Amino acid sequence: MRNVDIELIKFMFMLTVISLYFNIAISLYGVVAKANLVKKLIALTIFQDTVNMFTILVGYKLWRPGLLLQPPVLTDLSPTSETLREFVERSVDPLPQAFVLTAIVIGLAVTLFLTTIVLHVSYHFKTVNVDEIGRSKRVYIHEEAV
Amino acid sequence: MLRDFVFMSLLVLIILALTYLTYSGGLGDLPPQDIRTIAKNYLNLTYNQEVSWLWTASPEAVAAIVWDYRGLDTLFETVVFYGAILAALTLFRSIAKAPEFVSSTGLSLIVKRVTAIVTLAILTVAASTALHGHLTPGGGFQGGAIASVAPLLLLVVFGKQFFIGRKITYSKMLSVRNISLTLLGFTSVALLVLGFLIGVEGYIFQNQAKTVSNLSYPTHFLDVPLGGSLIFFNLFEFLAVASGFTLVFTILLSRDDTLRRELEGEERGY
Repeated sequence: MRNVDIELIKFMFMLTVISLYFNIAISLYGVVAKANLVKKLIALTIFQDTVNMFTILVGYKLWRPGLLLQPPVLTDLSPTSETLREFVERSVDPLPQAFVLTAIVIGLAVTLFLTTIVLHVSYHFKTVNVDEIGRSKRVYIHEEAV
Repeated sequence: MLRDFVFMSLLVLIILALTYLTYSGGLGDLPPQDIRTIAKNYLNLTYNQEVSWLWTASPEAVAAIVWDYRGLDTLFETVVFYGAILAALTLFRSIAKAPEFVSSTGLSLIVKRVTAIVTLAILTVAASTALHGHLTPGGGFQGGAIASVAPLLLLVVFGKQFFIGRKITYSKMLSVRNISLTLLGFTSVALLVLGFLIGVEGYIFQNQAKTVSNLSYPTHFLDVPLGGSLIFFNLFEFLAVASGFTLVFTILLSRDDTLRRELEGEERGY
């Protein structure tokens, strides 16, 4: 493969990584700066997915001609040492995939939990805006004190 | 306004700093020239019968890592997952058990028929993903997450009455979840208990025989590879995830006034 091609692949890869940094920054902004709880929740899921994507990306490796990248699954059920060597040669890193696998499901469970909390909050306060909730809480506390 | 500006500038600064660090090689070569040594070891050993004291009997390296090599990690991650589900259920505990009388007949006939066909396909894909988890990409987590879409669809399209009419109740789903979790726990200590009973060494999360312990789960059933304990883990995880998510979806899709009733009689809410 020509050097130019490798440089191009590296450049595109770097671009992807940087765009993920942007994604992380934007979702963090959403979590911290948005007053709406539902928007916060959406930003949080974007954050989760970005981090998962980043983890998968770190387990990837440079493609070379003649190299068929494949998931870390052995297709031959009675492998010889030669098949195993080829398998290791062609596979991407399985470890980040294993981490992300559980992270996705836990993320889903946490999202469901947060959704139920937001539902509770919206029934209590008739709003999901944290600023308004803070104001109404101050009013309640003031009333009780009086 | 000033706060927003400061915050934005901070974020831009963070992006620039991370970009600089990455560009100057903070993450090593990008993309990496080759995978790490530990990954090579996992890939090399997962289905290597010549190193039978370190193999997992599963050609799927990811499933092998999740349920064998790093099984304890997964156990604790599973605990976090069920903790979150349990917390969500606790918030609406009384709704779930209260009988709900809904007269809704669901959506139109066309939507119902299409959903019936799609549901069948979803469940088939889910079962295939879970039961082949030790052979092809997939597993209990993914299968369960796919399967839980089916009841969600049914709830929306056919209405809650559909579930009530078929005696698919909260307590039954909870029982499925609890039994699956118990069996999941039992699978992880089965060889330890067996070893204790017959007086040989055994370990928690033991799948195949080790140098000091010759106990192992069956690797094949007839000529079908089972991946040792992996198929049991995948199966029970599939049932537990699917039933857990179904429980939460059932609660989240309750009627508005039922959800409101839950909050009546409580304090003001702070």
